[in-house]
Amino acid sequence: MSQPAPAIHPLGEAAWTVALGDRVDEATHRRVLALSGAIAAAGIPGVGEIVPAYAAVTVFFDPSQTDADTLRARLATLADDGPTGGATDRPTVRPSDRPTVVIPTRYDGPDLDEVAGRTGLTRDQVIQLHSAREYRVYLLGFAPGFAYLGVLDPALVLPRRSVPRLQVAAGSVAIAGGQTAVYPLVVPGGWHLLGRTELRMFDPRREPPVLLRPGDRVRFEAVR
Amino acid sequence: MIEIVKPPPFATVQDFGFPAGRAWGLPPSGAMDPVLLGLANGLVGNPPGAAAIEWALGPGTIRTDAKTRIAVLGVASIAVDDVVLEPPGLAFPVAAGATISIEPGALHRYSYVAIAGGIAVPAVLGSRSTYLPGGIGGLAGRRLQEGDRLEVGAATDASVGDFAVVVPELREPAELDALVIRVVRGPQWDHFEAAARERFFREVFQVDVASDRLGYRLSGAPIQPREHSTLASEAACPGAVQIPDGGQPIVLMPDGPTVGGYPKLAVVIRADLRRLAQCGPGRSIRFREVSLEAARACYSEGR
Repeated sequence: MSQPAPAIHPLGEAAWTVALGDRVDEATHRRVLALSGAIAAAGIPGVGEIVPAYAAVTVFFDPSQTDADTLRARLATLADDGPTGGATDRPTVRPSDRPTVVIPTRYDGPDLDEVAGRTGLTRDQVIQLHSAREYRVYLLGFAPGFAYLGVLDPALVLPRRSVPRLQVAAGSVAIAGGQTAVYPLVVPGGWHLLGRTELRMFDPRREPPVLLRPGDRVRFEAVR
Repeated sequence: MIEIVKPPPFATVQDFGFPAGRAWGLPPSGAMDPVLLGLANGLVGNPPGAAAIEWALGPGTIRTDAKTRIAVLGVASIAVDDVVLEPPGLAFPVAAGATISIEPGALHRYSYVAIAGGIAVPAVLGSRSTYLPGGIGGLAGRRLQEGDRLEVGAATDASVGDFAVVVPELREPAELDALVIRVVRGPQWDHFEAAARERFFREVFQVDVASDRLGYRLSGAPIQPREHSTLASEAACPGAVQIPDGGQPIVLMPDGPTVGGYPKLAVVIRADLRRLAQCGPGRSIRFREVSLEAARACYSEGR
């Protein structure tokens, strides 16, 4: 199946964003990770941070060390190699080979009853549906170590809370829209809180500091 | 050692920021005005990106426990042991036990206090910067408080000179006109009608009170994207001009989110982000478009 030609936009004068479409799905995300890995593996001088997202890869660079337009052309070539190009076979672009990360979760969140009420389910059904699936890590952002996990069971999909909490405790397991996540730090947040985990999603002293990486598979396990 | 005798309302340790955190969701953080930080460091013999105190919102007092050299940039008045420096020194030697009182001026929202040897809080993820929303880096991930003691690194001989550096004539420029901030087109430029883009460049915006190290909110006529512009979250960066629902632009700053789903109409060029960062609430600004090539030249040539 042919893919649309990637569009490359400047994100300021020192970054290119390679857009691989506008769909949020696993196939697109696999291409995103393959391209991120290929760019990293290319070891282009002057290229700094590489930020994969749902359907785009952003490459930050130092314009004093690399010619911006030459880099752009190089990125276009790497992106054109597509999912069947050599890039996908590199071990560095197959983070999904990592074992599924299990997140022990105490399902006693303050929004559990409300979620059950609004979805027409029982508390146990909410817990069962949330912990039954294997999720994919699509994106890290919002806060350090905050991983957007999808895709949630359609029966659990609710809009965000109309009034966000000013403080959500670190380790809170939450849902919003078609996604679920664990709050890594005490931050404001508008997601529905189902429970807590004691796992640390972000620890500056750990290498790498994040527990979850894009492409990882994740499962929640109910504990008492 | 530097002791915080009386902290200003907002002071943190900052350097040039985290070099590699974006893919983890950790923003670059670092100094709001890296040029001023680099100058302050240079005046005390430090590398430009050494850690220093980023000082904001009010007066305060610090004390050193050893003879050293200090640079204080972007302030209205400095007093050493209650003697006001006239004109305000930029860099000067201080005796052991000297007390330095600092009063910010109207021209700079963020001032820098550099000390020979640099602030030696432990480096975290490659930086000594404080990322306040995450409680990461700097001194225990937080603002400086009364009684805090900051370790100072070893100074080179050259960095402890016995001479002062002053600016002979420091005139405040007229602030009547809107400050021109240069931008390049953002990744979602096409999400906006020509009329909205024209308005963005014609309009004078004011820096809103709700502005901080995460982002500067601008008030003015709303800029609306075409119909309902949605976007799967993708990388953002300091300087990105996000247009959220409601149409009031937000310019992301060094602590701002690494990703976002709002359309980015423009991106402030690197040379001008620090100029915007120094604008206080109510300051009028307007935007002017430049090419990517011009933006890169402005940065490398420092103009």
